Amino acid sequence: MIELKNVTRRFGDAVAVDRINLRVETGEVCVLVGSSGCGKSTTLRMINQLLPHSEGEILVDGKDVTAMNPEQLRLNMGYVIQGTGLFPHWTVARNIAMVPQLLKWPREQIDERVHELLTLLDLAPAVHANKYPQQLSGGQAQRVGVARALAANPNILLMDEPFGALDAITRENLQLEMLRIQRQLKKTTVFVTHDIDEALRLATRIAVMDRGSIIQHDTPENILRRPASEFVENLVGKQDRGLKLMSLRSVRDLMQAYPQPRQPEPGADGLKEDDSLRVALSIMLWQNWNEVPVFNAEGQEAGTITRERIIQEGA
Amino acid sequence: MSIFSSVAPNSMPNRVLPVLGCLALALVWLLDLGVIQPNRIVPGTGHGLLSALGGAGAGLVSLILAGCVLLSLLPLRRRYLPLLALVGLSLALLPLLLEIFASRHLPENAPYARSSIGAGFWCLLFLLSLMLIEILGRLGSGRGLQLLILAFVSGSWLWFLRGDGLESLSLVREFNARPDKFEQAFWTHLALAFGAVSISACLAFFLALKMIRSVAWRRPILGAVSFLQTIPSLAVFGLLIAPLSALAAAFPALQAMGIRGIGWAPALLALVAYSLLPMVRNTFVAFTEVSESLSDAGRGMGMNERQLFFKLKLPLALPVIVEGVRITTIQAIGLTAVAALIGAGGFGSFIFQGLGQAAMDLVLLGALPTIALALLADALLTMLAASLKPTPATA
Repeated sequence: MIELKNVTRRFGDAVAVDRINLRVETGEVCVLVGSSGCGKSTTLRMINQLLPHSEGEILVDGKDVTAMNPEQLRLNMGYVIQGTGLFPHWTVARNIAMVPQLLKWPREQIDERVHELLTLLDLAPAVHANKYPQQLSGGQAQRVGVARALAANPNILLMDEPFGALDAITRENLQLEMLRIQRQLKKTTVFVTHDIDEALRLATRIAVMDRGSIIQHDTPENILRRPASEFVENLVGKQDRGLKLMSLRSVRDLMQAYPQPRQPEPGADGLKEDDSLRVALSIMLWQNWNEVPVFNAEGQEAGTITRERIIQEGA
Repeated sequence: MSIFSSVAPNSMPNRVLPVLGCLALALVWLLDLGVIQPNRIVPGTGHGLLSALGGAGAGLVSLILAGCVLLSLLPLRRRYLPLLALVGLSLALLPLLLEIFASRHLPENAPYARSSIGAGFWCLLFLLSLMLIEILGRLGSGRGLQLLILAFVSGSWLWFLRGDGLESLSLVREFNARPDKFEQAFWTHLALAFGAVSISACLAFFLALKMIRSVAWRRPILGAVSFLQTIPSLAVFGLLIAPLSALAAAFPALQAMGIRGIGWAPALLALVAYSLLPMVRNTFVAFTEVSESLSDAGRGMGMNERQLFFKLKLPLALPVIVEGVRITTIQAIGLTAVAALIGAGGFGSFIFQGLGQAAMDLVLLGALPTIALALLADALLTMLAASLKPTPATA
């Protein structure tokens, strides 16, 4: 759990972060979103004390961060930055092993952990472990960056626009990957981005920041339904708010489930349980379907969903 | 490096080697291969290829050069290994030409007569060396092979120079007149050049760290070392005489250490002063080029400043620092020759003596080892810098 109480940061006379209060519960993903210069990165960097705060109190699991040794504090927090920050003179394996090595883990345990993390992030260890960072594509490098942050199994993950420099397709893949990993690991995560769609997709709660203050701190759904100010309303976009709401919910929420999953007919078309309602509606409009079967993760037919129901209850 | 990238271009005809080979062939016929002098001072008579070596020798040299050109042009699958053998062997056996020349043309009963090397021979040596470099580059050979060939060629040359056949060669005559002095000059030269480089490397390291830590020091330090570089080298050697003499006179302890207005002390000081600018600049740039986001990542992962320095900054900066050391070393080896003017010793003393006596062979005896030393230092430090770069050059 991370708590910020009345935290202020000044650079000379300029106030970058102005008396903010923020509480990130254990296991939740808190996304700080806002335009550049709003203080979101400053806020993140104060949590691991790369920037000391000028006033206020920052507590990590109930303990004041200023009372801790900054290196010890950071060793327990994974840190991912834009453009990866991988060490170019180290192989992928050595980069991932950085924090375990600083913590003086035994050699076999480090090797095992590196192997495990590469597999978790969908990078074949035999192929990638001995490559150097500049031999990787942008997406692969950022996966290694995430693996490095997870290496010593920290409770907390700090991510500073990690996917900002990637192309749209790679970014979306990594976002999905991140959701999958987060479901498994449940790290307390603070994630900084300027992309509201990324925020809506990843966050359990979003903190919208503007000029050093938090304007609204709420769930993605509430941010969309009840924006606290015109600034938030503009940020989430007035016109496609309905569609954005639909993209927060999955087909599972509105489908008519069968009592027992059935074996599908061979070659049958349909949707997946995890597809968002937005995707479902789009496919149904395009294919001109009114009712489609829904498949679960095992590929069985779990139920059906109708276009009517999505339109009535989707947003 | 993949197998394909090293094989595919090899089957293409080479464009560089034929040009070098034809040039060598033309120059070796056009220019004098050797000169016979009746004594040390009087200009001698030159001999072209045919006259110097006779029909068989001239034919063999031409045949080998033509063979190199043909080997590099014909559509062969493996051209570079035979070429390497041919060019390497030719380079190693080059002194044999001088031996044949001397035995054919040196007058019997003239003890002062000497043979010396002509322009044609120098051109042949230079062009063959260029060809060797090109071949080694094409082979993509490792450092081991390069060192082996270097050792083979220089070993063969040493063997020839030590032997009796080249006794009449002017360079050998000059050397044989003063072998002890030569050895002494060699060690003095090495000690001065490398002593100056190591002292300035240590100084530059701390100056650069100071510059990185505090912005206020940057301009004064860079200004001072740049200013040192702008003083003409001869002037520095001269300017140091007075203050060092005064110091030595005031403190007898210094005098006991051998510090005087002339000699090694002012030379070393001047060399250090000259070495500082490239060294400080390279070291400073090397450290500042380590991107801030990398330090940020390292710090954010929990590295302390010491770990950050030794695990991140120093390894990334080291190749650039060694590059600075390389430039400085070459410059210092050359400058040390000038330091002979104030009695510091080294190969420069032969150069100045030779100039004074109008004996060009003595000048060469000083100049050639200086050049060889600089080339050797260049090669070794380039290899060191390359081996310190752990990341592959290709993405």
